[in-house]
Amino acid sequence: MRKYLFRRLLQLVPLLIGISLISFFVMHLAPGDPTALFIDPNVKPEELARVRANWGLDQPIYVQYFLWLKNACLLDFGRSYTTGQPVINEIGQRLPVTLLLMAPSFLLTLLITIPLGVISAVRKGSWFDNAVTFLSFAGMAIPTFWLGLMLMLLFSVKLHWFPAVGNIILPLITMTIGSLAGLTRYQRASMLEVLNQDFIRTARAKGLPERVVIFKHALRNALIPTVTILGLTLPDLFGGAFIIETIFAWPGMGRLGVQSIFQRDYPIIMGIVMISALLIIIGNLLADIGYALVDPRIRYEKSK
Amino acid sequence: MECRKFSSLLICSLLFSATVLAAGVDSEGVLRFSLGGEVSVLNPILSTDSVSSAVEGSIFSGLVTVNEKLEMAPDLAERWDVSRDGKVWTFHLRKNVKWHDGAPFTADDVKFTFDSILNPKVNSVRRSDFIIDGLPIKFRIVGKYTLQAILPKPFAPFLVNAGIGIIPKHLLAGKDINTADFNRQPVGTGPFIFKEWRAGDHVTVERNPDYYLGKPLLSKIVYKEIPDANSRLVALEADEIDETDIPPKDYTRMKSVKGVNIYEYDVLLYTYLGFNLANPKFADRRVRQALAYATDKKQLVNLIYRGLASPAFAPSAPVSWAYSDAVPKFDYDPEKARQLLKEAGKEDLEFTILINQGNKEREKAAVILQQQYKKIGVKVNIRVLEWSALLKIVNAPKAPKEFEAVIMGWSLGLDPDAYSIWHSSQYPRGFNFINYNNPKVDKLLERGRETIGRSERKKIYAKLWQAIAADQPYIFLWYPKAVVGIRDRVGGLSKPGPAGMFLRLEKVFIKK
Amino acid sequence: MRRVNRQALFGAALLGFFVILAIIAPLIAPYNPDEIVESQTLAPSLSHLFGTDDLGRDLFSRALHGARISLTVGFVAVLISVLIGTLFGAVSGYYGGFLDSVIMRFVDVMLAFPSIFLILAIQSMLTPNIYNVMAVIGLTSWMGVARLVRGEFLRIRELQYVEAARAIGCSDPRIIFRHILPNAQSPIIVAATLGMAGAILTESALSFLGLGVQPPMASWGNMLMDSQAYLFDAPWMSIIPGLLILLTVLSLYFVGEGLREKLNVRG
Repeated sequence: MRKYLFRRLLQLVPLLIGISLISFFVMHLAPGDPTALFIDPNVKPEELARVRANWGLDQPIYVQYFLWLKNACLLDFGRSYTTGQPVINEIGQRLPVTLLLMAPSFLLTLLITIPLGVISAVRKGSWFDNAVTFLSFAGMAIPTFWLGLMLMLLFSVKLHWFPAVGNIILPLITMTIGSLAGLTRYQRASMLEVLNQDFIRTARAKGLPERVVIFKHALRNALIPTVTILGLTLPDLFGGAFIIETIFAWPGMGRLGVQSIFQRDYPIIMGIVMISALLIIIGNLLADIGYALVDPRIRYEKSK
Repeated sequence: MECRKFSSLLICSLLFSATVLAAGVDSEGVLRFSLGGEVSVLNPILSTDSVSSAVEGSIFSGLVTVNEKLEMAPDLAERWDVSRDGKVWTFHLRKNVKWHDGAPFTADDVKFTFDSILNPKVNSVRRSDFIIDGLPIKFRIVGKYTLQAILPKPFAPFLVNAGIGIIPKHLLAGKDINTADFNRQPVGTGPFIFKEWRAGDHVTVERNPDYYLGKPLLSKIVYKEIPDANSRLVALEADEIDETDIPPKDYTRMKSVKGVNIYEYDVLLYTYLGFNLANPKFADRRVRQALAYATDKKQLVNLIYRGLASPAFAPSAPVSWAYSDAVPKFDYDPEKARQLLKEAGKEDLEFTILINQGNKEREKAAVILQQQYKKIGVKVNIRVLEWSALLKIVNAPKAPKEFEAVIMGWSLGLDPDAYSIWHSSQYPRGFNFINYNNPKVDKLLERGRETIGRSERKKIYAKLWQAIAADQPYIFLWYPKAVVGIRDRVGGLSKPGPAGMFLRLEKVFIKK
Repeated sequence: MRRVNRQALFGAALLGFFVILAIIAPLIAPYNPDEIVESQTLAPSLSHLFGTDDLGRDLFSRALHGARISLTVGFVAVLISVLIGTLFGAVSGYYGGFLDSVIMRFVDVMLAFPSIFLILAIQSMLTPNIYNVMAVIGLTSWMGVARLVRGEFLRIRELQYVEAARAIGCSDPRIIFRHILPNAQSPIIVAATLGMAGAILTESALSFLGLGVQPPMASWGNMLMDSQAYLFDAPWMSIIPGLLILLTVLSLYFVGEGLREKLNVRG
């Protein structure tokens, strides 16, 4: 296990370098220009060129990249073009605000999705199962940002229950519904699979009460895939954060990200890409480890 | 209409002074401003966005400031004089001014500020304000409280540029200004002292009891960042903020909200449709004039602003002291437009208008113009470009540039100088990207910026606007209006005008 | 009839309906979608089924024309992603070895991106138009297909008939395209259907943020972009395009699930 962990951590390095390489080049080769926002009849083009040069943007792109990489290895991701502050500080201020939204949403998702998926599977074909299936499809098909708008329309404009922005409830609901649907379908499927397996039939044949069969035997095994997939939903959660935070003006990393895209604040964009990628990879890793812990049959030494 | 507006304004301000006398001042009053975006940096020589500038206005002060009449008035400089040849400006600074940290303010700080702006390593886009025809303005300390600016040649807009916020030498000397922590914990000489900044949420400043123009009446100002326009309106209605801008579509509804006063005033901006004169399609003045006749500016203003803007006719703004109404107007007349096009032999004109992505007003204008021009048989295509891609085309340092027409806007400085936009030397490098070239206009532009007296300049600019408008290198589309809602508990406001209504922040108060 | 079939049938019918409407949009749209025909933000009525927008354009006509754009973007984007994914997956699975590890590491890298952020970042730097939207979505969503196709190839290439083809001297491309690929098409079709649902959602999110299909061209996503400012005054401007996206994506999911059952693809 330790050896496996070590190897996985080692794999992180080329992965992160690959990610930084792609995002850096895509960004810097595109026609955009961070000084474009300064345009004003009194600002001469040569002033913009000077500011660009101060930022090092006049150097060949590979030089810029190696400089960035060298500093990034020392955990220095440069400074924001718009605020002049270190990227680490800027993101450090925003990440906790995002987690404040993501963590409860994650928990809520788990609390809702597991019982829904399990009951749905146990009562396969019932009206409850049908309803859950239909709703989870609808949940997957609903554009997150539109869901956010509709919730705003209902709860802020019509009912006046919550303010449209600055309150956690609406973004929390939006984010939770967004991740709920897919997971519920997954949980249902894995529960169904387990229920069809021999040891469940054996347990039933032994005359164990249905409750014991389901909660003690089936559920435990059906949770394994859910644990795995949880790590894999992290990218979606992050993706959702970008849009949801923008709509609800939630001052987290997602909104900072979208804003820095519009401002072409390259250092911030790079920082956010790297941090989210790191979190996503770690999420995957934790999922794999969790998988190994829950299910001792899985041995990593051989796989991959 | 114009008249009625004026009288209602008058009554309004009379009522105001009455309430000021009647209502007591809440000495613990907190003013709650709303900001439509995020504050990025609190340093007047670095910030480029209006949101940051709004906050800086309470913390920093400049040598001179603008008053309700849009004239430059004393601030940190008690008075100033200009040498006979217009090249040497001497500023006599106020004594006994203290920085918020207690250090004394002297001419050293002023020189430091201007030198920093001119320092190529400092990312200040204001640098070109202090360079005239390639030569920098020199600053010289004459006494502890006296400073001279030596200009390479007379340059009237200098005084306005000299109003930029002054930063403290004792805190910034020897530091990298671009990245200094100062930019997040600013220290100024203004009426309010920086207190707290929560990124993405709010900035708080509190009263500076030692302010040289008198102790402010407010105890604090909170600047709340609320990016969404609807949310700002809701917050104003719910008495969570005291001030916000009102989108035209909400004007009528907000007028009926109790406890909120709505003010509208003109601002120094205009939006235009500019033609690439290097393109044979637009070389003939009659073609441009024909399109001007075919432009129903009333419809534009009504559809886009619901009437809360006015048609534009010249590259100045009615609120500017240099504005003149005596220009050719090309009132809507599609018949005349068709006839002019025929004369020019361009009846089958087809062209593409560029607009920048994300600007709703310009996008709507393009769609409306497309239909208006269709009526005279001109086909318009619309192409949306990302902002920097659009700038890359119009600012390309080569001729001819690859566009036909573009909808853009200029925000005008307090000084009417428009050299960088219209002078033929500003093409292809510079902001005369449409290749406008009129020797008469060039002369007027040069004389305008070298003449110091206002009345003299007024005459020059009147001729200038007339000459430009006759050529229609741009079709001037509209002057937007600022519409703001302010809760009625706020007193001590200045007269509504392009410089805003909070010109004297130390006099603003919350009624008891 | 089984539930999945019922859903799939419903999905197919709805999808077909939308596709037909999109095709004949110019014939049945009551107005020119770009033309200002009425006063601004009129509520839905008999003369304007979906109301009018903030410029006074007929929203029903815009929604019909928007269907063409949104469906085309979804379709072409998924086509691009399936082509790339199949190519990479096939090469990876068929040849294995070094090529396989390189491609799969590349897939890992692409999967570790927060994809919507990557798409936003790229799109914000390009000229925003419909072609770029399709290309960017396609180029950032092929990884799932690549993994899937690789898996199929790994399985199929060991089958006897492939061995036989190799023995009689068939060229690699011929084996890949004529012998293996046809047998791997079912999971690709299912993935493409679900992928199109995803592409339509992504387009709408991009356009909503102003980085997608640009006005005055209408897409369901950019109709929504205009609507947020009018949430108080003209809620129909947001409700209708959102519902159209929801229904289209839902029907694609239903069809995809149906195909999955029918073609016996593991989920």
